[in-house]
Amino acid sequence: MKSILHVIEYDFRNFFRYRWFIIALIAMNLADLFISAIVFTQMTRGIVDYFRFFAPGLAVLGLFASAFMIGREINMEVRREIHHYLLSLPMARTELAIGRVLAGGLRGMLYMTPLLLTNFVILGFPTVPQLLIILLTLFLLAIGISGISISIAVSTTSFEKFVTARGVVYYLFFFCSSVFYPMVIIQTLETKGLAPLVKFAQINPLTNGSDLIRSFLLGAPEFSSFMLLDVAVFSAVFAFCATFAYTKILMRQ
Amino acid sequence: MGLKKIRFVVERDLRMFMQYKFMLVMRGIWFVSQVALFGLIVNKMVEVAAREANINYFQYYVAGVTIITLYSISMFIGYDIFEEAEHGVFEYLLTLPVSRRELVLGRSIGGGLRSFIYIGPLLIVVLSLLGVSNPFHFLVALASLFLFAFGVAGMSITIAVAMKSGDKYDILIGVLDALIVRLSTTMYPSVYMQQAAPTYATIARFNPLTYASDLLRWGTGIEGTLQVSPFVGVLALFIFFFSFTFVGVVFYERRLEGGSWQ
Repeated sequence: MKSILHVIEYDFRNFFRYRWFIIALIAMNLADLFISAIVFTQMTRGIVDYFRFFAPGLAVLGLFASAFMIGREINMEVRREIHHYLLSLPMARTELAIGRVLAGGLRGMLYMTPLLLTNFVILGFPTVPQLLIILLTLFLLAIGISGISISIAVSTTSFEKFVTARGVVYYLFFFCSSVFYPMVIIQTLETKGLAPLVKFAQINPLTNGSDLIRSFLLGAPEFSSFMLLDVAVFSAVFAFCATFAYTKILMRQ
Repeated sequence: MGLKKIRFVVERDLRMFMQYKFMLVMRGIWFVSQVALFGLIVNKMVEVAAREANINYFQYYVAGVTIITLYSISMFIGYDIFEEAEHGVFEYLLTLPVSRRELVLGRSIGGGLRSFIYIGPLLIVVLSLLGVSNPFHFLVALASLFLFAFGVAGMSITIAVAMKSGDKYDILIGVLDALIVRLSTTMYPSVYMQQAAPTYATIARFNPLTYASDLLRWGTGIEGTLQVSPFVGVLALFIFFFSFTFVGVVFYERRLEGGSWQ
């Protein structure tokens, strides 16, 4: 456990080295909420209060982007062979891998906290049990995102390939989810022959993460245990994939 | 000033641009997902408002996304300048038998031209979605997009040479990107910006992205989007182009002297 904590500490120190990137990310998130969402609210009158709808989506968006950052660092380490140094540390490889996955998730949670607090201020505070469920879900989501990011990072040999794969994952997960628009609107794509995308949006953990927050803060959609289950399965699968892939890559040489 | 030498500088920038093939692919994926997912779905969400404003939101948005892509690709040149300063390529460039002014002008032209080459295939897709109702309008719009691309490249060079730190450049570009795109009519008509917050609409009126996207819509025949006359739009983009190309050239030229980039 102590070794894992050291790895987490190492990754947190690295996280703050990217402060400029984080500031730009915050600016983008706030601009999304306080400019785009406010204007879209005018355009969606009578259908949805877009500002209130989008606020939980924004917290999940921020969580995704920041938890994904760990992959960028790990890809760089693999390319520059810094992992030789990491292998020389007195800890098991599995501890190192688990530490990295957890650190990625925790960094996402740290970044997302002010966005979630903004949500509470705008939409109202949840009850204590609701808050605990929200935090648990978001933590699981962050772990899964960190896992998917690490899996891609260790499977791609160049930064460009990593960036491209990241782009595909980002856009698929962002735009095919209820982060930006209600599920009922996405379902209209079915009539255009895009049923697989609708299906993906329904099981997308970003959809279930943001809808879970909405269910407690906005009262709609209704909370279902599927939301939590979906995120938990996503988290378990990708945390395992990342640990396995990371350990394998480290043992390659 | 030798045109041939400027051409060499432009050619070098174009070749460098092709090295970013993965970045370019990623921007392409971004464009497609914006159009095919975000554009289609939001179109459904805002269809009542779009009907009231007498616009087809999907078409409106496709034109806007084209301008956002053109903007972000044109901004790339600033990153090249920082890379060169960091890796000592500036010194190499200064040893070439090319005058400072030729070098700087070539870079500015190269920066704008390469973004236009990139946007070419995307523009064909866009035109197949939007159509062209008046070829003359479209040619005027295309010319104004040239001015816009060169102006943005000049702006990027100006910011890059004004900054000593790559980190600061990164954050400034990130923040600028966040604000300049959202405070323009690329994503939504100004009438809704006015309703949301009059300040947003006022800022959008001075934003080159607003003029570029409105002119592209006008050029492709999308109705009810032009806030000012096309002449004023082209004039605004010309002023933008002229100011930043001139300022960028002067700044870059001065910075090259005496190793002040180090």
